Amino acid sequence: MTIEIRNISKSYGDSAVLHNVDLKIESGELVSLLGPSGSGKTTLLRVIAGIEQADQGSGPVMFDGVDVSGVDLGKRGIGFVFQHYALFKHMSVFENIAFGLRAKPRAERPKEAQIEEKVHELLDLIQLRSFELRFPSQLSGGQRQRVALARALAVEPRVLLLDEPFGALDATVRRELRRWLRRLHDTIHVTTIFVTHDQEEALEVSDRVAVMNAGCIEQFAAPQQVYENPANAFVFKFLGNYNLFHGRSGENAFVRPHDIVIQRTAESAGPDSRQAIVSHIGFSGPVVRIELERDDKSHVDVEVSAPAFHDLDLRRGETVWFAPRVQHDFALDYVI
Amino acid sequence: MSEVPIRQPAGRTAAARAVPQASPIVRRALIATAVLFLTIFIVVPLANVFTQAFSKGIEGYLAVFWPPQPPDGATLTFSQKRRFAEASAQAARTWSSIGMTAAVAAVVLPLNVVFGLAAAWATTKFNFRGRTLLTTLIDLPFSVSPVVAGLVFVLLLGRNGIFGDWATHLSWPDVFSLHWVGFADGAWPLAFSRRFTGVIFTPLAIVLASIFVTFPFVARSLTPLMESQGSDEELAALSLGASGWRTFFKITLPNVKWALLYGVILCTARAFGEFGAVSVVSGHVDSNDTMPLRIEKLWNEYNNQAAFTVASALALLAVATLVAKALVEWKSARDAERTEVGKS
Repeated sequence: MTIEIRNISKSYGDSAVLHNVDLKIESGELVSLLGPSGSGKTTLLRVIAGIEQADQGSGPVMFDGVDVSGVDLGKRGIGFVFQHYALFKHMSVFENIAFGLRAKPRAERPKEAQIEEKVHELLDLIQLRSFELRFPSQLSGGQRQRVALARALAVEPRVLLLDEPFGALDATVRRELRRWLRRLHDTIHVTTIFVTHDQEEALEVSDRVAVMNAGCIEQFAAPQQVYENPANAFVFKFLGNYNLFHGRSGENAFVRPHDIVIQRTAESAGPDSRQAIVSHIGFSGPVVRIELERDDKSHVDVEVSAPAFHDLDLRRGETVWFAPRVQHDFALDYVI
Repeated sequence: MSEVPIRQPAGRTAAARAVPQASPIVRRALIATAVLFLTIFIVVPLANVFTQAFSKGIEGYLAVFWPPQPPDGATLTFSQKRRFAEASAQAARTWSSIGMTAAVAAVVLPLNVVFGLAAAWATTKFNFRGRTLLTTLIDLPFSVSPVVAGLVFVLLLGRNGIFGDWATHLSWPDVFSLHWVGFADGAWPLAFSRRFTGVIFTPLAIVLASIFVTFPFVARSLTPLMESQGSDEELAALSLGASGWRTFFKITLPNVKWALLYGVILCTARAFGEFGAVSVVSGHVDSNDTMPLRIEKLWNEYNNQAAFTVASALALLAVATLVAKALVEWKSARDAERTEVGKS
């Protein structure tokens, strides 16, 4: 199902959270809304879900070209997954998943045998078949979120909306679950919108990423596009660490730490290279973080792969030359 | 009470947050003070209530509720007859007060449950202008003297009150007079045989005053829980297509059931025991007496043993509420443990 929203604004009292947002999502896409806290990403998701109403004068929220802005939350055909699971504490896993089916009007309600079949099918999908009689309190965080997802999928939603679904989980489980989500999406192909503040998560999982800042979408493109050709300084800064070099003529160069090449000699480093002293070396597994100190006491962060670091064989206090491999130039009127 | 061992981390510096370790003397002194206080102000008076109530033995105690009847066929002097009749009338009044107390509680409780749920829902799940004011108003009966509350109703609905004209002519049926009249007069076979006129100095005023003094209890016991639970579960249910009612009965209510029951118990205890507010609006009419009012009348009539007997019945009700309250607390703590969804 395609989702299109036009000119959506939302404010709480005097503070505006969304400013004239437009977004068009293709059928079957997995899109993430990425942004720092307070950027309006969750609000946008809740407006699409129908939990929040957009301000007067906003444009429509369209599902498959039909305006649903006046349709109730329960009738939009959405599946919503909350950050803190929102599982029904007093119901078993089975009953949680069956809830949406049992809540259907009598005429559409499936028979008990069909409900059971459907729930078991979903339990297999989330690989928790043997947990059907447990209560949410007896599950781990990752298991809970999978149950929440199965519960949302039980009513066969036209769109799946996930609000920081892995935000409350620890790093290992997060990584595991987001790959699982991607595989799940590849099997069921339901249009999915995914809110996150984790760049890695957004880039790894989504077909397209909408980077949000202060109630606006700064860029909406494929992960590689967003990362390699950021639309502006905000997108660039938000997607990872960076070094900022001020040129003499006022231009600013943004360079990722891994886009800096370190050489032992000025000749091999090329004409643009600058001199610095190695002030710190930090190992973090596959990547080695090197901090360089320049004459003006400013610091430059560099990341090299462990094998490359081995070849360089740097020591603290050593003088080296460095040059950017790739750099992005943005006007500096942008401040986070 | 067993002591809880406090394990202190190794290398803890003196500047670190110290756990106050009272000396045994201080600890014993504090416990003794608390026990002494409870003994003087709770245990002794309560024991006295029962001692006085049983001062004429078990028969005397039971006679307050079931007065002795003259033996069949006995010839009685006039004064004997009078004494038997008087005892019967007193017992009837006592029973009427028990009935009134139960009836008032039966009306007040459901209203409080509905009001409490609505108020707690409104103040915790919505954000609106004047929310804080509403929360404060809910607490008002805690800080207002019940006598003042009673007077407010008299001044509003009494003969010279603001709504006095309307209220004094208001006619409403006595629900206990509902009886079968058959279908002769129409399709509806039930009718009331008695009606009340006016509000103040009738049971309706007792109900109003009781509602006033009891309404914070349910709302107050629900609010903190509903606040901490947020509305995600309700939103999840709604997003799955559940209706508002289904969401309420299947999700909200089970989540707050113990807090609700706790509030109901506190509310019952207060409804049973309220004196000041109902005293003002009862007009000291015998038929309006609740148990506390009845106790006062017996006391004023120098019928101490009977007064203490009814008081002991009320005290037993209080003990029963206390036990119920403890049970609910224990059950809800156990339930919370079982269904606690920790945030990992």
